[in-house]
Amino acid sequence: MIEVKNLIYGYHPSDRPVLAGISLKVRPGEYVALIGPNGSGKTTLVKHLNALLLPVEGSVSVDGMDTRDARDVPEIRRRVGMVFQDPDSQIVGMTVEEDLAFGPGNLCLPPVQIRRLVDETLTKLGLSGLARRIPHSLSGGEKRLVAIAGVLVMKPRYLVLDEPTAYLDHTGRQRVFSIIRELNAEGIAIIHIAHDLQDIADAGRIILMNEGTILLDGAPGDILDEGETLESLGLAVPPITELMRRLRGQGWPVATNVLTVQEALIQITTSLGRAGAAYLRGSGAEEAGSHV
Amino acid sequence: MYNLGQYLPGDTIIHRLDPRVKILSVLTLSFLVFRGAWPDAALISSFLAILMVTASLRWTQVVDSLRPLALFVVLIFLLHALFPEGMSSSPALSFQVNVTTEGVLRGAFVSWQFICLLLCATVLTVTTSPTELVAGMERLLRPLGRLRIPTHQLAMMVSLALRFMPVLLEELERIKTAQLARGADFRSGSLVRRARAAASLAVPLIVGAFRRADELADAMAARGYRNGPRTTLRELRMTVLDRTALAVMVFFIAGLEMLRTLEPKAVQYVYALFFG
Repeated sequence: MIEVKNLIYGYHPSDRPVLAGISLKVRPGEYVALIGPNGSGKTTLVKHLNALLLPVEGSVSVDGMDTRDARDVPEIRRRVGMVFQDPDSQIVGMTVEEDLAFGPGNLCLPPVQIRRLVDETLTKLGLSGLARRIPHSLSGGEKRLVAIAGVLVMKPRYLVLDEPTAYLDHTGRQRVFSIIRELNAEGIAIIHIAHDLQDIADAGRIILMNEGTILLDGAPGDILDEGETLESLGLAVPPITELMRRLRGQGWPVATNVLTVQEALIQITTSLGRAGAAYLRGSGAEEAGSHV
Repeated sequence: MYNLGQYLPGDTIIHRLDPRVKILSVLTLSFLVFRGAWPDAALISSFLAILMVTASLRWTQVVDSLRPLALFVVLIFLLHALFPEGMSSSPALSFQVNVTTEGVLRGAFVSWQFICLLLCATVLTVTTSPTELVAGMERLLRPLGRLRIPTHQLAMMVSLALRFMPVLLEELERIKTAQLARGADFRSGSLVRRARAAASLAVPLIVGAFRRADELADAMAARGYRNGPRTTLRELRMTVLDRTALAVMVFFIAGLEMLRTLEPKAVQYVYALFFG
C-alpha cells in the first residue's frame, strides 16, 4: 500500500506550498484517477510516490518503506513505475530493446534475465516487431507504448501514468486504455493522471485536486455529481454526463453521475418507466439505441 | 529520417567482431599510417582494401565518408606540391610556386594518410552500431576508472547524446518553421541580421534542451538509474573470431616491421619499382 500522510511540499520555502497537506492511501490493485486543473499539484504529488521528490513535511511510504530512507529507494522505484508525459524525454536506449533493458540493467540483473524480461514485455505489449528499431523512427503511439514497456519490464506493483493519452489519436488512445485495463486486471495498481474525465471511465476511484489539496476523493459517480465544482475548475464533464444533466434540467428523473452509454441507457429507460421499456422492446428499439 | 551515424546492419565477419577489437585495430592502423613511410603504404592500403571488401562496404558509403574532407585533402596536396620548402621559409607575400617531384610525392603521401584515416573510421562506423561503439569504448577505458575518471558516466553521456541528436534536430526544424511563420528570415540580409536570426533559433533550442534534460534526469532516476554498477542486455565477450582477428593484426604489424628492418634492400627495391 502507498500511504501519504500530511504531505507538504514547496519548491521555495517562501512561496505558497505546491502541496498543502495531502493524505491518501492507494491499495494494491486499485485504479485511481487523479484529476485537477493545471498547476494543482498532480505531477508534484506523484513524484513523491517514488522518491523523486521528498516531503518537506509529512511522510510517504510504499509497502511500509519510507521514501526518505535512501536504502529503500531502489526498491521503491522498482515497485512504483512511472510513465511521464513526453515519451521522447524518457526513452534512453538507442534501440527499443536496449531501452527496455535500461531499468533491469540498473537493477544489475544478469544479461540472460534481462533478455527474458525484455522479450516477455515486448510480446505482452505487441512490440516484438520493433525490438531493433531506433526510438526516433517510431510513431507517437509506438513511442508511448515503448515508454510504458520500459517501466513494465521492472514488474512494478504500482504504475503511475501522467496523461498517458496526450497527443495520441483515437486508435492510440484506445490501445493505451485497453493496456491499462489489462494491467489493472493483472493486479497492478494504476494511478492515472488525466485532464479529460472521459479518459478515466475505467477508474474505480477519482481524486480531484486543486491548489495543492484534495478537493474530492471518491467513486466516479460521486465525483460526477459535483458537476458545478468540476466546471468551476475548468474540467469538462464528458458529453454523456452532460446529456444526463441537461435531461435532468428539463425535469427528467435521471441520475447525472453517468460515464458510460450502458449506464445512461439504464437511467433513461428506467425513467421512461414501463411505457418506455415497452417502447424500447417494440419497434423503436434500434432507433432508441442508436440515438444514445 | 535521421540516420544515426553511418551504421548499416549486416552479418559480415567485420560486423560480428567485438567492438573492442575493431576500435583497437583502427587505432593501430591509424598509428601505422602516420608512422609509415612510402614502402608501407602499399601494404597498408591493400590491407585496408581487404577490410573494406570483407565488410562489403558500398562505393557510395566510401565516397560519402570522403566527401566532407575532400576539399581539405586537395588543399593539403596542393600546399605540399606547390610549396615544397614550406611556407615559413619563404618570405611573406612572395610565395614562390616551385613544383618538384618531391613536393608532389610528399603531397600525395600526406593526402593518402588522411584518406586512409577516413577509410579506417568508415569501416568502423559502418559495421559497428553506436551502442556497440559506446560499449566497446567504455570497456576499453574502464582501467581509467582507477584514476577516478568516471568512464561509465562518460559512456552514458555519449550514448544519450547519440540518442537525443535526432530529437534535437527535429526540434530545431520545428522552431525554424515556427520562426519562418512569424516572418523570420534566415537567408538574406547582412551578416549581423542573419546572426540575429540564428539566435532566434538557438535560444529556444537551448531552453528546450535544458527542459528535456530535466525531464530525462527524472525519468532515468524513476527507472532506477544511479551512480553505480549496472548491467546491459549484451555483455561483450571475446570469441574465437575476435582472437583470430587480433592475431591477424599482430601478424600484419610484425610483417611491416620485418619488411622495414630485416630487408631494407627489398624495401628499396619495391620503392624503386613504384617510384623509380
